[in-house]
Amino acid sequence: MATYLEFIQQNEERDGVRFSWNVWPSSRLEATRMVVPLACILTPLKERPDLPPVQYEPVLCSRPTCKAILNPLCQVDYRAKLWACNFCFQRNQFPPAYAGISEVNQPAELMPQFSTVEYVIQRGAQSPLIFLYVVDTCLEEDDLQALKESLQMSLSLLPPDALVGLITFGRMVQVHELSCEGISKSYVFRGTKDLTAKQIQDMLGLTKPAVPVHPARPAQPQEHPSISSRFLQPIHKIDMNLTDLLGELQRDPWPVPQGKRPLRSTGVALSIAVGLLEGTFPNTGARIMLFIGGPPTQGPGMVVGDELKVPIRSWHDIEKDNARFMKKATKHYEMLANRAAANGHCVDIYACALDQTGLLEMKCCTNLTGGHMVMGDSFNTSLFKQTFQRIFSKDFNGNFRMAFGATLEVKTSRELKVAGAIGPCVSLNVKGPCVSENELGVGGTSQWKICGLDPTSTLGIYFEVVNQHNAPIPQGGRGAIQFVTHYQHSSTQRRIRVTTIARNWADAQSQLKHIEAAFDQEAAAVLMARLGVFRAESEEGPDVLRWLDRQLIRLCQKFGQYTKEDPASFRLSDSFSLYPQFMFHLRRSPFLQVFNNSPDESSYYRHHFARQDLTQSLIMIQPILYSYSFHGPPEPVLLDSSSILADRILLMDTFFQIVIYLGETIAQWQKAGYQDMPEYENFKHLLQAPLDDAQEILHTRFPMPRYINTEHGGSQARFLLSKVNPSQTHNNLYAWGQETGAPILTDDVSLQVFMDHLKKLAVSSAC
Amino acid sequence: MAGLYVKPGNKERGWNDPPQFSYGLQTQAGGPKRTPLTKRVAAPQDGSPRVPTSETSPGAPPMGPPPLSSKASRPPFVGSCPPSSMEPTNFPVVESEILLEDVLKPLERALEDCRGHTKKQVCDDISRRLALLQEQWAGGKLSMPVKKRMALLVQELSSHQWDAADDIHRSLMVDHVTEVSQWMVGVKRLIAEKRSLSSEEAANEEKSVATAEQNQTMPGIQHDP
Repeated sequence: MATYLEFIQQNEERDGVRFSWNVWPSSRLEATRMVVPLACILTPLKERPDLPPVQYEPVLCSRPTCKAILNPLCQVDYRAKLWACNFCFQRNQFPPAYAGISEVNQPAELMPQFSTVEYVIQRGAQSPLIFLYVVDTCLEEDDLQALKESLQMSLSLLPPDALVGLITFGRMVQVHELSCEGISKSYVFRGTKDLTAKQIQDMLGLTKPAVPVHPARPAQPQEHPSISSRFLQPIHKIDMNLTDLLGELQRDPWPVPQGKRPLRSTGVALSIAVGLLEGTFPNTGARIMLFIGGPPTQGPGMVVGDELKVPIRSWHDIEKDNARFMKKATKHYEMLANRAAANGHCVDIYACALDQTGLLEMKCCTNLTGGHMVMGDSFNTSLFKQTFQRIFSKDFNGNFRMAFGATLEVKTSRELKVAGAIGPCVSLNVKGPCVSENELGVGGTSQWKICGLDPTSTLGIYFEVVNQHNAPIPQGGRGAIQFVTHYQHSSTQRRIRVTTIARNWADAQSQLKHIEAAFDQEAAAVLMARLGVFRAESEEGPDVLRWLDRQLIRLCQKFGQYTKEDPASFRLSDSFSLYPQFMFHLRRSPFLQVFNNSPDESSYYRHHFARQDLTQSLIMIQPILYSYSFHGPPEPVLLDSSSILADRILLMDTFFQIVIYLGETIAQWQKAGYQDMPEYENFKHLLQAPLDDAQEILHTRFPMPRYINTEHGGSQARFLLSKVNPSQTHNNLYAWGQETGAPILTDDVSLQVFMDHLKKLAVSSAC
Repeated sequence: MAGLYVKPGNKERGWNDPPQFSYGLQTQAGGPKRTPLTKRVAAPQDGSPRVPTSETSPGAPPMGPPPLSSKASRPPFVGSCPPSSMEPTNFPVVESEILLEDVLKPLERALEDCRGHTKKQVCDDISRRLALLQEQWAGGKLSMPVKKRMALLVQELSSHQWDAADDIHRSLMVDHVTEVSQWMVGVKRLIAEKRSLSSEEAANEEKSVATAEQNQTMPGIQHDP
């Protein structure tokens, strides 16, 4: 068992891939009986400081329907200089540059430890990074000032040859013409009328840029005078003027009457931004950054009217079909999102307001393009400022972590097909022999586009085993999958990251134990969770929960050890032991429970869930809880009310919040001031330890989480109490006969009750 | 160098606003973690919640004081604390006064150097911002850390350490944007212009050295440049 955990970890570190099953059932029938689909979590641009990119182009299989890339699984005849594609078995000639290879002189891409290789593409023009700021001016004075300062600061963080542009909006939409001469000009549009891309481009006087690079001359990043437009200029030319322009921005001048919301034309502003980039820089990496301080209240894409007494839609309104603007607004933003994605442009939304801002309707903009969604209370908070700064964070080489314009292609050996992907991507509708007819997530394709991504962007990719039931497995046969990601690196180089993996087939009838032992319950939990959340977008909540429960029961029936009709005999092996717990917490999570969250909040949580890597996704499903005490070093404890003790400090990480909770006795000691007395110095250290650990998390997490410092009896303790398993409630306080832990006042089902039901159903022959 | 501190978030505007890290702390590569908080405990399969080991007595009875500190303090707590604390550290007044002239004069000199090489409008713009810097400094509107870091920036600029100077400008923009945003972009441009000027000068020098060598080359003898 230990070896599989190591195997799983090594593979994740090297290739950024984790599979639900690491030994694959060899027939379609058996694979469906496994309940959890064969799927993987892939982080295409996982940070690999130890992997230098190679400075040549990949070698492709010559079969037009294959075009797989040379990899360590290929058979090579060094004498004849031939290689056999492991996917289609085509024999290919090595290109002339490989004339000198031999068994002792292998190119990197054939060496087993280079299952993941990154190639740098030398040819072609290198286009600069593009940032288009779209700024809401209907903000409070303080907020606008803080936002302006953050934008000015960002000009110092951007590289000098990046292009930058500015659109501001309120009741009207203003497109600012950036020039180095004195007078600033802008084009003003009405916020009520939507325009087509062509109309926008005509009104802005945009012409197609001339072909910028002479083919014989290599492109220099600095000399692209014809590539910029009047609205998007390089930082090194425009930073002083733009700093002044930003500094002079005023609040939207239209007065807001009593009892009304400001008229905010977000829909048209975004439409103009998308149209502007479409017309000037199609198919180039670009970022539209939308900053909003409230909901859109006029024009296409409006989410609520301007009367304050009519509140913005809640989940209750949506269920009762009482959300007037939702369908039309969602359609408007979906249209914009698809256009942006088609051009390789990503859209970020930074929404800072005390009330909802329409993230539910606008979420497709970030989710389809891979843009960021940041939700805060005000632009004048550390949460926004730090999160915004971290977008421009750099890696160990001094390059931005953000990458643009990626396409992910998946190739499989013929026993497998691709059923779909779930993550921040759109389908490229590429059909082929690898594409399954059954869709899970975004299916019907073997290629997806991810317009904005970074080293933590992660997709769930689902497969189907298509081997017929009695078809033989070749001796020692392994299935293989290749992931090819083309993208624009932040240094403007084009790169290709290739990961090729293989796993053994096994006959499920005779080798079930092997398949079981190679189950990755963490990956499986996240993959099933992504499926559940994907379903929740289009199905009713209770149906999704029923589906999730059904899958869990079937899994326990298949892999549990038990005697029929005897729940007490039920056991799960180690490789499954955490799985039911994950499912229990998933059912209670804000991803599947919309109670107590606004539609915007649910959209925000789901957005982050659909793109984080495995470790962070698990934290979101089942928060981490560590206990600090005098009894030893900090230790992980059950996410359970029995872990809440008077003499412990708890640190809980839910990904979105970091909660530090002082037990009753600890809080009393702190109030009495023991930490200030020299003879109780260890108490001071005890109080400091969780603060330091929390700080480490806060140091790197994107987006910045909320930080809650609370204690027994504090009102903020509810964040902890609502997450822990309520093993002790007011209902069973005396039944347990224990006096440890804090009872939680809830009628929610506890993990124990959940497990009891699960065992009963699993062992029952009626199911 | 650029100040490593953490200051609390804005609790008035954002509930549970997290603390804010200074630029210096943010750009520090994360070292090995103190306590990687990634482990979980499996729920016991038989259903009863496990009571954590060794309960101490404080419970229902009135609490006693915490255990006394012993000589052998526990390593996990006294371990490698990160170089930050939760309070802002503005190093107090042991420093000598930083004079405005010490900062402004080198900047103005640098601007003069660039006048031949840079467009007039840009130079005027930079000059305008330097005047603004002077006005704010003289008017006591700039805090000590800003003044300190500007002194450092000017030092780096004078020693032709462009990247270091640039980094300091960035750290000032991130940590003190309210104070510096109006004029800092002028300093940033100045660094960029000086950098390109000095690389042009270096290129010209190389060219003239090469031509000088060419003129000296004896026929038949190769000199490597």
